[in-house]
Amino acid sequence: MIDNIPLPDTDVAHEAPFWAGLQDGVLKAQKCASCGHWHFPARFRCEACGSGDLAWQDVSGRATVWSVTQVHPPVLPAFAPFAPYAVVLAELKEQVGLRMVGNVIKQSGDAINAVALDDIAIGAKLEAEIVEIGDGVFWPHWRLV
Amino acid sequence: MSFQDATAIVGLGQTTFAKGLEQSETELAVEAVSKALDDAGITPGEVDALGCYTMENVPEFELARHMGFGDLTYFSQVPYGGGAGPGTVGHVALAVAAGISKVGVVWRSRKRSSKASRVWAQTSNVLADQWKWSRPSGLLRPVDEVALLARRYFHEHGVGREALAALAVQLRAYANANPNASMREKTMTVDDYMAARMVADPLCLFDNCLETDGAVAVVITSAARAQDCAQKPVYLHAFSQGMAKGHQLMTDYHRADPFRTCSSVVADNIWRQTDLRPGDIDVAQIYDAFSPLIFFALESFGFCEPGEAAEWARQGAFAPDGRLPVNTSGGGLSEAYIHGMNLVGEAVRQLRGDASTQIEDARTCLVTGCDSTPNGALLLRSDA
Repeated sequence: MIDNIPLPDTDVAHEAPFWAGLQDGVLKAQKCASCGHWHFPARFRCEACGSGDLAWQDVSGRATVWSVTQVHPPVLPAFAPFAPYAVVLAELKEQVGLRMVGNVIKQSGDAINAVALDDIAIGAKLEAEIVEIGDGVFWPHWRLV
Repeated sequence: MSFQDATAIVGLGQTTFAKGLEQSETELAVEAVSKALDDAGITPGEVDALGCYTMENVPEFELARHMGFGDLTYFSQVPYGGGAGPGTVGHVALAVAAGISKVGVVWRSRKRSSKASRVWAQTSNVLADQWKWSRPSGLLRPVDEVALLARRYFHEHGVGREALAALAVQLRAYANANPNASMREKTMTVDDYMAARMVADPLCLFDNCLETDGAVAVVITSAARAQDCAQKPVYLHAFSQGMAKGHQLMTDYHRADPFRTCSSVVADNIWRQTDLRPGDIDVAQIYDAFSPLIFFALESFGFCEPGEAAEWARQGAFAPDGRLPVNTSGGGLSEAYIHGMNLVGEAVRQLRGDASTQIEDARTCLVTGCDSTPNGALLLRSDA
């Protein structure tokens, strides 16, 4: 946990199962009950078929690096002690385009700057490890596998 | 009613572009708008329409009161930061073409050079908007968001930093020839570019636009009225806004092909309206808060194939004698960052024939808004 980082508003009714899942250590995404299309971030109707019947389902937590950057100063004060640090766009194996922004680690407890940019290749395999990023707020870090 | 060539930009005004200007944003707006009206030979009392960005800090009524405008019949604001520019002009042109208003003014006034004005640095501690999905991971600034797409582009097309270096150096050369450019006296080589500090890998300092104080304004009226104005008319030939299906502002990653950007939507609709094709465009002003946005937009508009814009940069295609001279005043990277309105100004100069680096016989110019937000474009030409 890094003190004083900006945190997501988790008090949003239609996202409740997502945030509750993370608190229980499970990563979920919305799946259309009608056509099977996955969605992240949450929405009210399916972008593929227009159905309003979207259900939260567990995802595998397996992903690949779709892209990566390394953030250098100036950054918000909370992140300054960690800069430069890498940020990835992880593409979940469930569907092309089902992507999440996150940080890369090698092992549990790693800081967000634990893995060097050169060690994070596009296409590299990742596995979600859900961590508490703020009081009661959980988010996946991505462990290189 | 037809939009095509029914209206024209007849006046252009701008302030000094610099850091730390003394004047307020209101004073800068008044200066630019006054110059634009003088340029057109139109009195303030004739202005009955206004267009601006939602991020503009000078309210319409204040500008109207200070300027002595008449009764206003149309005022429009366009959202999404750097994506807004072409829309502000296009909306007012539509109102004039439709007969709702007769003379419109569009302006952007901004004091951006103080660190306190950095939008990202004002991030709140609880994120309720779409940035909740990225900023907690330290993806904080617009440049970080664009860097993810830039690295993916590099990966897909085998591109390296030398392509962005060639682009940045070309824009700096244009600025060096432009007496109004912030960077008129600072030259840049590829070595300078490569030695610059990294900001969001692979993007370095010189891939980022300047932070500038200044204002730009244009005057728009009907093609008929334009014949009586002081300057050669620059006709609004085609216009579109664009928001791609599934788009998410700036962090537009959550769909299958993020490179089918809002620019692709704009491009399809622009080319639908005209017989002109990309090869008929003489010069382009492409929104460049960050250098890779130029590559993405040029490819979306069909000037070249995906990945090829980088090769064009290396080959010098954006030079005055190249295939498509781009950002010929230096653009946001090296002239000034007036949120893209200075690109509209340069388009007008090119089509009047009085640009600092004048492209020979330039008759058509494309002006675009930010590739990574909902955006728009104007296709301007000198012959109706």
